[in-house]
Amino acid sequence: MFGSLASLQPRQLAAQVLNFALVLSTAFMLWKGLSVFADSSSPIVVVLSGSMEPAFQRGDLLFLWNRGQETQVGEVVVYNVRGKDIPIVHRVIQRFGGGSTPLQLLTKGDNNAADDTELYARGQSYLDRSQDVIGSVVGYVPFVGYVTILLSEYPWLKTAMLVFMALTVVLQRE
Amino acid sequence: MADARISPHALPDLKSTTDDALANYLRSLHFRQHHAKLDVRLALGYLGVAIAAATFAADYRLGWDATKRWTAVAVCAYAVVNGGFSWWIWQVEGGCVFEGVRGGKKISIASKTNKHDPTYHLAVTDAAGATREVQAPFTAWFTADGFFVARPFQQWLARSVGAIGEADAKNAASDAGGSEGGEIAAESEGFATGSGEAGGVETKGKGGKRLKRKG
Repeated sequence: MFGSLASLQPRQLAAQVLNFALVLSTAFMLWKGLSVFADSSSPIVVVLSGSMEPAFQRGDLLFLWNRGQETQVGEVVVYNVRGKDIPIVHRVIQRFGGGSTPLQLLTKGDNNAADDTELYARGQSYLDRSQDVIGSVVGYVPFVGYVTILLSEYPWLKTAMLVFMALTVVLQRE
Repeated sequence: MADARISPHALPDLKSTTDDALANYLRSLHFRQHHAKLDVRLALGYLGVAIAAATFAADYRLGWDATKRWTAVAVCAYAVVNGGFSWWIWQVEGGCVFEGVRGGKKISIASKTNKHDPTYHLAVTDAAGATREVQAPFTAWFTADGFFVARPFQQWLARSVGAIGEADAKNAASDAGGSEGGEIAAESEGFATGSGEAGGVETKGKGGKRLKRKG
């Protein structure tokens, strides 16, 4: 299998490696381009829990848009709890401020009994729209996100996938 | 490379094996290869990769908010560089597989194949800028089970391309090992057309088995 690589000139080997590097780079830059377009650090997120059922199920893929700063009650937003890196997808049930004062939001999962006050950081009672929220949900695709859930629950899958992709691209001579 | 076996039905494999053999053959005839085109392609490609790597590093270290503006710039820069890279491959390289100089004379060779047609097309441009096209079926230098045979390939090249013939008089002479080459070509053509006549995609495997039983 690697015999075909051994017979390559150094420049050709560099060209084959470049093919794989470009696959990774282009995928990454497309993601960053989407982030810039949506003005969100993570424009596509996966629903991890059932707290928004029946609207969203675990494994749904959500598309976010962060350029609408006037978030209304009833919109579904994704936010990061201060200090933690886990995005939470819940619905806005109250809003305060807006206009000249910073907009503050209170959220609650559709399928939860209580609002999110318990989830926020200690001493925090409301979300700051400009700082905590990474976007409002503008669309979704069901089930597709399960791949991401699998990849994060079994990290060796990520490595295996990358190795497989690398071998396929570097050994291909088209 | 002659020891490596490829699938004789995969056109990209046939073409890339032949391209590599062409470059090796010309280098053995003391053609000095110019790598300018490949170097520009590598430079453009790795520049794009560098931009992506720098963006990744900045985002990892400083987070999204701090790097938002630079990320936007980097995405545009990457799009431009990648576009240039693709344009370079498509337009400028245009299938070029060898560019070199021998005895002060420059030669430039581009190869191509058409879909589902096992014919190797070469466009040879000499120092004066005139381009000549030659072609031959892959069966002339590949056996039916996918081994590359150098001799008939070199003979075809030496006979069809003037500059190569001048460099390699032995292969340019029609009869030098011609019968040997002819036999290989006839054998492979016979087997290849045999499996072709059997017809259809499904019987290609059967053609291979047929060959082994006879051998």
